[in-house]
Amino acid sequence: MSETPELDDVFGTKPQEAPLGLVVEGSLSSGLTVKLDPRFAMEKLAVGRYVVIRGQQTGRRFFGIITDVALGATNPDLARRPPQPEDRFAAEVYRGGVAYGIMHVSPMLMLDEEEEEPRPVKTIPSHFSPVHEATPADVERVFGAEDATHFHVGAPLDMEHVQVNLDLARFVERSSGIFGKSGTGKSFITRTLLAGIIKAGLASALIFDMHNDYGWTVRDEGGREYKGLRQLFPDGRVSVVTLDEETSRARNSKYDRVLRIGYQEIEPEDVEMLAALLGLSDVQTGALYYLRRQLGASWIAKLLELEEAEEELRELVESGRIVAGTLGAIQRKFEFFRRMGFLVPGKGDDVVDDIFSRLNMGVSVVLEFGTYGNTLAAYILVANYLTRRIHQRYVNQKNRAAGGKADEPKPLVIVIEEAHKFLDPQVAGHTIFGAIARELRKYNVTLLIVDQRPSGIDDEVMSQIGTRVTCLLDNEADIRAVFSGVSGAATLREVLARLDTRQQALILGHAVPMPVVVRTRDYDKEFYAALGVVSEEDLGRKAQEGIDTLY
Amino acid sequence: MGMDEQEALIGRVTRCSTRGFVGAVHIPKPEVPTFGDFCLAEAQEGRSRVIGVIYDISIQDDELARQMAIAKDPTREQLADTQRARLVPVEYAALAVGYHKDGAYHYTLPPQPPLTMATIHAMSAQEVRDFTERLDFLPLILGAPQIPVDDLLAAALRTAAATRPEEVRRPYLVRAGRACARLLGRDLPRLENLIHSLQP
Repeated sequence: MSETPELDDVFGTKPQEAPLGLVVEGSLSSGLTVKLDPRFAMEKLAVGRYVVIRGQQTGRRFFGIITDVALGATNPDLARRPPQPEDRFAAEVYRGGVAYGIMHVSPMLMLDEEEEEPRPVKTIPSHFSPVHEATPADVERVFGAEDATHFHVGAPLDMEHVQVNLDLARFVERSSGIFGKSGTGKSFITRTLLAGIIKAGLASALIFDMHNDYGWTVRDEGGREYKGLRQLFPDGRVSVVTLDEETSRARNSKYDRVLRIGYQEIEPEDVEMLAALLGLSDVQTGALYYLRRQLGASWIAKLLELEEAEEELRELVESGRIVAGTLGAIQRKFEFFRRMGFLVPGKGDDVVDDIFSRLNMGVSVVLEFGTYGNTLAAYILVANYLTRRIHQRYVNQKNRAAGGKADEPKPLVIVIEEAHKFLDPQVAGHTIFGAIARELRKYNVTLLIVDQRPSGIDDEVMSQIGTRVTCLLDNEADIRAVFSGVSGAATLREVLARLDTRQQALILGHAVPMPVVVRTRDYDKEFYAALGVVSEEDLGRKAQEGIDTLY
Repeated sequence: MGMDEQEALIGRVTRCSTRGFVGAVHIPKPEVPTFGDFCLAEAQEGRSRVIGVIYDISIQDDELARQMAIAKDPTREQLADTQRARLVPVEYAALAVGYHKDGAYHYTLPPQPPLTMATIHAMSAQEVRDFTERLDFLPLILGAPQIPVDDLLAAALRTAAATRPEEVRRPYLVRAGRACARLLGRDLPRLENLIHSLQP
């Protein structure tokens, strides 16, 4: 390494140890094959770890990630003619001679000798370039230092003291996704990232909190309590709006307002997304628009017979524009609205404007569903209802800002869970969520989708997802979906399928310079402290200290 | 010539080529020369020394020996006389596996063979250890025609291992086995046999 002292300044000196192996074949598209040095125990390797390859022709350094480990033999007959089981000497001779270990490495970044910043790879190292384990200094170099917009999300595998810092500005710039089977810690990672975004003040978040995971105290499966976002930012940067006052009160969670939606505010477009859940046929869905036009703003109240409309409805049927059966079916299926306590007769209140103005002032809003979270239709109805209207306001303001008549709206990240219900290929084409995902950041609004079935999400939407944070997935189709639209990422599938079930995630895409497997940061007192939260005990102690010094 | 070297003298060259040489000795000692031993023969007026591995030891018969073999009740004196006092030498053939010149070992055929009557010495344990530290002489053995290559290889490597301290013998043999495996990887049955005979 002595011939390139400048690189050593950048990367730190390499330990003078033998390389793991040599590059023996490969391509840019399918990755490199590395023959392992027999002195190195391949059993110590793990997919997902980083290696540094020193190019032999230019001195250029290549960063790669181990994507697979395999056994090879110079003679294919060896598999049919292995040494006797008790012959340990022969086994030892064969191992490293005719039989050897192989690892597959996906090259990700390269760094020229005179360059500061690593760039994406456009070529590969030449034959027999030595491959070394990446040192903490190498990895730190790639992920940069933590600062106002680079948020520490965790540590690479086996490098506890190295920080992986996510570029939050890029994270919110495009829609992002957090995927993983249930129970793999999606909501903890989501909460961690949201805390980072809120702390950095890069965007407001509108969180449709299906399972009461984000606002106030959260319990894990072991019953331990963790602070919600509202507690992490007690200074008003996070508001909680509840749909279910009773549950929120019972949970002892603080909320800022209650969501009420007036029947008159609901439009056929809001109901259309529920068609599959309510069992509305295409004909019935089409009839909604007609009914709205004929019955006016209080169409739902009239259909639910909360308002006198018998005459009007009979006329509609008699005019032949709607079949009595269709009308009856719609009325029956609309009974669902009666069970939704947050829907109220009349016009409702100013909740949309209120939430919009909070978001636009940089206040994030957690929408707590309480018991309604168990009703998927309620979740979809409210998420769709609010998102359409708030998005519209963003579009208006953005357009006015373009004309110099208003300020740019504060960037907004909309967090939806069970995202495949909103973005499945049948509906993604014409829902507001599909539109937001596709229009990128045109109106300063992006999505953060949290989902366990990424295969259920429309391909076109998936391909627009900039950053993917993926916990363990084992369904083949889901794994494929996560990698769709990411070039060269297919080699990472083994890495993904081998993640631990907890606190491990593969992050790839827009917000990281190269894919990385992280052990995510603990969501604990240390994390609270890093966000600047003072715990109640500490407050009490400080107060006591104050008292002690006074007297 | 020191005492040790005097003792290590094992004969003189009778016949040679760059591929190897044949040495002759009157009466061999029990331990030298033996199959798979390393020996040195002076060449180029002492400027280089050819390193050979002994692969064949033979004794020619003569009329007397043939008669003695069928004689009735030969006396012990007669037998000893025929065994020891005859003028037919014990001959041994060594395969050239390298040479020593200018203070370094070279692992190729020597530039010039030794001359007739050049002295042949057994290599000391230290010399064997130094020479066999690199395993580059293996191809020269493997490529030799019409000699029991595999047996020779195993014997030479065992000789080399025996010059090393106990604790590094096995690692040395593993390393040597791997080197053989690189060269013989295509022929697994043969390799298996060779490795079996390398077993420490």
